[in-house]
Amino acid sequence: MRKGRSRVVVASLALALAACERGGSPPEPGFGALDEQLRRTIANWGVIPILPVPAQEPALVELGRALFFDNVLSGNRDISCATCHHPSLHAGDGLSLAVGTGGSGLGESRAPGEGRDLLPRNAPSLLNRGLGQTYTFWDGRLAEHGRGHFVTPVGSSLPSGLVNVLAAQAMLAVADRGEMRGTHGDVDAFGQHNELAAVEDGQYATIWQRVMQRLTAITAYVSLLERAYSQTPAAALTFRHAANAIAAFQLEELTKVGTPFDRYLARDDAALTMDEKRGALLFFGEARCAFCHNGPLLGGQSFANVGAPQIGPGMHAAPPLDLGRAEVEDLSFYLFAFRVPPLRNVELTAPYMHSGAYTTLEAVVRHYTDVPLAMREYDVSQLHPSLRDRWHGDAATIEAVSATLDHRVSQQLQLSDEQIQELLAFLKALTDPAARDLSRLTPASVPSGLPVVR
Amino acid sequence: MTVRTVRSRPPTRRARSFALALRALQAFLLLLVPAAPTPALAQLIGIKTVPIADGDQFNLFPSRNHGIGGISLALDDTLLDPFRNPASGARLGAGQFFGSPVLYSVSDGAGGGKTLPLGVFARAGHWFGATAIAAQQIEEVRERFPGAVAIDDRLAPSSGLDLADPPRHNVYAFGMLGRRFDERRAAVGASIQWAALNAVDGVDLLYAGSQHLAQSGGLLDLRVGLVKEWEGGRTIEAVAVHNRFRMTHDVTYVDWFWDPVQRTTVPRGRVEHNPDRTNIWGLHLQHERPLTSDGWRIGGLLTANRMSHPKIPNYEIMNIPRDPGWSNAFNAGLGVARTQGPVTFALEAIYEPIWSDTWSDSETPVETTSGAVIQPGGRIIENDFRFSNALVRMGVAREIELEGGASAATFQLGLAVRSISYDLDQYDNVQARARWLKESWVEWMPTWGFSLRSAHLEIRYAGRRTHGTGRPGVAAPPMGVMAPDAVSSRTVLLAPSGALTLDEVRVTTHQVSISLPLR
Repeated sequence: MRKGRSRVVVASLALALAACERGGSPPEPGFGALDEQLRRTIANWGVIPILPVPAQEPALVELGRALFFDNVLSGNRDISCATCHHPSLHAGDGLSLAVGTGGSGLGESRAPGEGRDLLPRNAPSLLNRGLGQTYTFWDGRLAEHGRGHFVTPVGSSLPSGLVNVLAAQAMLAVADRGEMRGTHGDVDAFGQHNELAAVEDGQYATIWQRVMQRLTAITAYVSLLERAYSQTPAAALTFRHAANAIAAFQLEELTKVGTPFDRYLARDDAALTMDEKRGALLFFGEARCAFCHNGPLLGGQSFANVGAPQIGPGMHAAPPLDLGRAEVEDLSFYLFAFRVPPLRNVELTAPYMHSGAYTTLEAVVRHYTDVPLAMREYDVSQLHPSLRDRWHGDAATIEAVSATLDHRVSQQLQLSDEQIQELLAFLKALTDPAARDLSRLTPASVPSGLPVVR
Repeated sequence: MTVRTVRSRPPTRRARSFALALRALQAFLLLLVPAAPTPALAQLIGIKTVPIADGDQFNLFPSRNHGIGGISLALDDTLLDPFRNPASGARLGAGQFFGSPVLYSVSDGAGGGKTLPLGVFARAGHWFGATAIAAQQIEEVRERFPGAVAIDDRLAPSSGLDLADPPRHNVYAFGMLGRRFDERRAAVGASIQWAALNAVDGVDLLYAGSQHLAQSGGLLDLRVGLVKEWEGGRTIEAVAVHNRFRMTHDVTYVDWFWDPVQRTTVPRGRVEHNPDRTNIWGLHLQHERPLTSDGWRIGGLLTANRMSHPKIPNYEIMNIPRDPGWSNAFNAGLGVARTQGPVTFALEAIYEPIWSDTWSDSETPVETTSGAVIQPGGRIIENDFRFSNALVRMGVAREIELEGGASAATFQLGLAVRSISYDLDQYDNVQARARWLKESWVEWMPTWGFSLRSAHLEIRYAGRRTHGTGRPGVAAPPMGVMAPDAVSSRTVLLAPSGALTLDEVRVTTHQVSISLPLR
């Protein structure tokens, strides 16, 4: 009897110890682990949600809208801000290289005027330019270091009181001969003397003063200015006020951060699809995109030579090449380096890179899988026919660009086609649906009565 | 629709990697806070899915058997039994007053607490009763996270941060009333235990990315018990128990935003209210009898618990938010004990099969990979757990008579070994995928004790150290956006949200109980 009872005890112990002996295998991440991994990865790159931009004064926005679309700001009265940053083209121009004053048409149909060349660089989209980027323009020649402290090509000529970098940019565009001011001897769209082009270079105050004279000669603008600056005497209004209004319009109407990715950052796990999440993990990981495109804006705060094809007339220092940031800072470190663009709404802002070399996002991604190869074997067929013979693909140029290629993009990426599609899915998740159709922004008319480009 | 089953790798070694175990925690966390926060181990079956250290917060009341592994089946514990089964209060002789201060600490500064219970047992004719209260202080352990960043509290007004230190004290109250039926050699009793809780130990470590945690809630434990004795020392006990655990965790997080106007990062506070709700209904039977005439006794138990947990907190380390679920837990055990002269030896083994089902509800319509839509309230992820746990306890006690038998000293040594093993089948109804996991670990608890008993006083000391469990930590601080340096006297520790680890710790508990007979 006692022996039997002992067996019961032993059996019970054996059962317990058998459970103890079962080894533990390394557990695998659960189904929700992708989000956890992605959020942790995102945090490592300083990618955080963006606070809403404060609502702008409606009267200021109304004035800014009128100015943005009005050719009267250009010396030849033939181009406005909207020509190269048109709502129908997602605040860009859809061209590889921009066409400045003297040109005609909009989008793909736009062409330089007789005797004029393309501008040397792509006109970047103005979407989200008011989100606090340090640098603007492809070479970052306009920078805001601390609030209201600008580093610009015009030096101390830039007046104080500009609200942000957008306003400073507006000041510069009207003073640029290629973009808006025109060249000596130009006549405007009505055959009249271009008084802005007649001003000697460097006389910025005179240029802005004359632009303002044009505006105050138009009754409707006087009225708009009075409403926008009701506390400022009319005599004290300068083009700085107009520039601030253009900035207000851009902030109000061209800030588009309602993207699935932003909803995801706001802790909505369902905002991204699985493909988009996997693409995001690639973006912030294996594909190394976040090495440059990091921070709250996914870029916009640094420069890199990514081996972008050299196309077009080139810039001042070494035409037909474009030395990029080195045009501004005479440093070999910045040779062929261009501003890393922020990526929200990137799906809508083709063509890409400073030269507009790539017309699709997939082409850009494939460029980064093997940059040296992409530089050598660039496919010019994706360019407009008029540009195909203006790719500088000679060995010397390739070698020069390769010499300072950013180490972050110099390694090959072993990305499968599936991974590339996942990356593209993520990049498309950076699109605010509200940015897809901006046509409502285009006014029927402008105070000057000049035609509104559509 | 393709269903892909992912299986974990075959068992390779028994050694636990706590960092790996935490991955299980992150994915399959079920109940980290003790589901049965009472000392009545046998009646309420706890469920753990990771080897997390529970602490000894709910070890409140005195026990004669703590020093011998916590033996309970074949050996009476006249001090603790009335708290488990109110009817067993009938076994108390004279009334007595007791105090049983408990001090426990988790190694590496990972937690701890102090409790002072005071109580009285009383008898009047056929009636008996008890009442007790306990005050408790739980340590703050949030500073344990390495790499925490101090941010200036001047940011607090704009960020909405709550900087007030949350209360860390708890209050417990216990009441019991019973009646003996001498002619039937039976007794019945009922008890109520109530607690107002402001701190459950270790919970703050489960919200690793949080800035502040305020806990509030309580528990209610209702029991009705029966004890029946027969000639020859046979006894049977039955307990019906209902336990309700209610906590709310108000968790403050600091989210960083990019301010496009100021062109800088700014903090904003975000408070999540996480309810933790568990209801348990249980039935427990225990039988004990002499086995032989030479001091052997045998005891056995059967327990059934039905648990519902309508709300599980949305821990930061858990990525299946707010899973409701239920569990059916059972245990069956057998124990033997022998008292031969001054020496007592006891051994018992308990087996615990548990089935648990939790799921993640959809809050919005979710499209599955097959194109179907899971409507709000539908199950996105389902977890089916099958536990096969075991508990072995053993101990020995030696009594030494003093002063010619007027008093006695007792030395105790014991060991409890808990094995937890479970299989998990997990289904993702969105992606139409399934996976399987097997997990197990062992917790070791050596115990020791000493007592001094006389006609006027009984003093007991019992100690216990738990090995094989861990507490969450953070492997590395986050990179990227950092907060400004602290410049003021009062700063906030910003808990990082890096990868969590489960670092091995030891929980050491010391309890001193003093009993004074009421005359």
